[in-house]
Amino acid sequence: MSSRRSFRRGEATSRYLLVGAAIVVVIILLALGYYFYSQGGAETTTSPEATGEAGTATETTSPAATETTTEKVTLIWASTQLVPPTEQQFVKEELLPPFTQETGIDVEFIGMSYGDLNVRLQSEIESGKVTISLIADLHGGLDLYASKGWLEDLSKFGSLEGREFPQVLEDYSRLYGIKAYVPWLTATYVFVVNKEAFKYLPPGLTEEDVMTGSEKWTYDALLEWAKNIEAATGQKPLGFPAGPKGLFHRFLHGYLYPSFTGAQVKNFDSPEAVQMWNYLKELWNYVHPQSTVYEAMAAPLLNGEVLIAWDHTARIKDAIVQKPDQFVVVPAPAGPKGRGYILVIVGLAIPKNAPHQEAAWKLIEYLTRPDVQRLILEKVGFFPAVSGVAEKLPEGPLKILAQGVGNQLNTPDSLVALIPSLGEKGGDFSNTYREAFKAIVLEGKDPQQVLPELKQYLLSLFQQAGASLPPPDE
Amino acid sequence: MPLFSLLQDSRVKAWLLLSPTILYLTVFIAYPIVDSFRIAFVKNGSLSFDAVDFLLYSPLSEFWSALKYTFLLAILVIPTETLLALTAVILLFKRFRGRDAVIYVLVMPLALSDLAAGLIWYSMLTGKGFLNKLLLNLGLISEPIIFFGYENRWLTFLAVYLAEVWRSTAIVFVILFAGAQLINREVFEAAEVFGASFYVKLRHILIPMIKPSLQAALLIRTLFAFQVFAVVWILAGRDIPVLAGEAYYSIVELHKYDVAALYAIVIALLSASIGLIYIRVFRETLLR
Repeated sequence: MSSRRSFRRGEATSRYLLVGAAIVVVIILLALGYYFYSQGGAETTTSPEATGEAGTATETTSPAATETTTEKVTLIWASTQLVPPTEQQFVKEELLPPFTQETGIDVEFIGMSYGDLNVRLQSEIESGKVTISLIADLHGGLDLYASKGWLEDLSKFGSLEGREFPQVLEDYSRLYGIKAYVPWLTATYVFVVNKEAFKYLPPGLTEEDVMTGSEKWTYDALLEWAKNIEAATGQKPLGFPAGPKGLFHRFLHGYLYPSFTGAQVKNFDSPEAVQMWNYLKELWNYVHPQSTVYEAMAAPLLNGEVLIAWDHTARIKDAIVQKPDQFVVVPAPAGPKGRGYILVIVGLAIPKNAPHQEAAWKLIEYLTRPDVQRLILEKVGFFPAVSGVAEKLPEGPLKILAQGVGNQLNTPDSLVALIPSLGEKGGDFSNTYREAFKAIVLEGKDPQQVLPELKQYLLSLFQQAGASLPPPDE
Repeated sequence: MPLFSLLQDSRVKAWLLLSPTILYLTVFIAYPIVDSFRIAFVKNGSLSFDAVDFLLYSPLSEFWSALKYTFLLAILVIPTETLLALTAVILLFKRFRGRDAVIYVLVMPLALSDLAAGLIWYSMLTGKGFLNKLLLNLGLISEPIIFFGYENRWLTFLAVYLAEVWRSTAIVFVILFAGAQLINREVFEAAEVFGASFYVKLRHILIPMIKPSLQAALLIRTLFAFQVFAVVWILAGRDIPVLAGEAYYSIVELHKYDVAALYAIVIALLSASIGLIYIRVFRETLLR
């Protein structure tokens, strides 16, 4: 800068660079400023579709007011269920179009993981910009959201005409003083047997016993059966989805524990529980070692890796659909205290301050119609939440599933277990059973040493969540 | 013009030129780091060590074995990959017909996501998979080898090791190969004239001259090694826990954001210190 002569090429370039940098900085600062301004400002300035909704939200008129206008409504429906690609395709191409035709309401179905839905809902509720109008989630997830006050009380919409929900579902859908959700679908976990395995039934156990869940179809019988198969074929015939995303913990707390101890939680370290763990240790000798990586049992059943598997109905449905002649669905075996099994409930809920609530309620009305429930059962394998659907079923793989599930429900020693509502402690609950399994069965530790400490932990979860022990514990 | 002369001040100029970078680092690096500390250590507005307690003392935590397996994988995978990549560079140093094709094949795994790589190896090695069928048909084994499952953890570990090596040798190779391309061939010709052996050429020409690339490759590979996730998750689940896998599990299954953030911090600190060590060590050997 000392003399004009020094204006050479180099300095000119550096000046351009300088100006460029200054422009970049100004742009970024402006962008940041605009971002924070719009954050702090109001909900009225965002994307075009949000502005349409913000009007109704800020004016606090009844959401129904906008639905009556000719404006096209697009609902966002977030679901943790029906997420696999083929199921999403069913939702988008078969389930929703008749509804849109009937009501003129467009629905955008978004399949999410539990974690993603949790994060998204939390951020939407906290920022005050709710975009999701309808949630489909498991009872446990909805319980968590209700516990945080994230759900609308659905009793304000009145009742759904012409359909009946089983009492147990009605009871469970009332959470924290509100009608938190409408029961939509149910499911359970069953055993699937490759018919090949019936060749090796132990003496005294018939195919009929297994299919109908007679008193001879016990866990001891299962062990004998598995032993027989291994002796005859050299193959470890049993399979469980014990991978990190598999549902094996449900088998532990909802099937083995009730069957052996009569409860899911309160007898966690009882002598009966020790007996149960010793039983599982022995059974594990006949379980396919790859089980600790399995997430769902359809594939291992189909490729013949295992002959008898336990899993969620939706996760084994593929095997039955692809080879209906090969597999049968059978009830869970019984233990000394009865035939414990889990009933899963999927519910539909509306987030607090969600846009288009009337439209969402219309969608709930549509989704719970008996015909629609039957369609879902036929296509996806979830069982209805309203009464009187299962009776009118066509022949085929579905019948096999429904028969198995029905047989399980109708066994005289049936002992229903519900997944406990622990809010955000639900993961710890599952993990405690998995940890016990890992320590006792995989690492061979003494159950009497492992269980008491874990029981304290388990009970502290219920205490912290302020939840009561789940059925059948009372 | 006061503004103009201010702009001409070299210190102001320097800051101004740096400012886009600083802004970028603040928004995309510093803020997330600070926020992860907040998530890990602040609960209801006050300091909380719940996450640390869980990580270190909870019976449900797999922290120590995750740390062990992450290190074990890094220690085994990185040298193998470096050796393989170096070998490939040496073999491909000379030009020959089909050399380009060989390079493409070597680099192919780079185009795959690690998730896909995991799935490929899983379906290949599973009990009813390609490898077992091949071996059974050849009569080499009478029962399928079960690579996966808790009881077969070491075989699973072998599978993870193979998949990791297969997947990411390519990145090391690409960096080393680029470095080797820059070496002046006359140096080698001179060495040849003086009758230098293969070993001498390797020890005194190739390796010293690709050292900067080696540093970059090792650094990148080591940082990635501490983030190893998808391949392990697909092949081993939690039978072989690793740090990133435990972070994922903490969020998705346990809903423990603080624990996941703590895992992220542990991974970041490990990566940073390893990076620092590399840079130190290499700078010293380079200056020597």
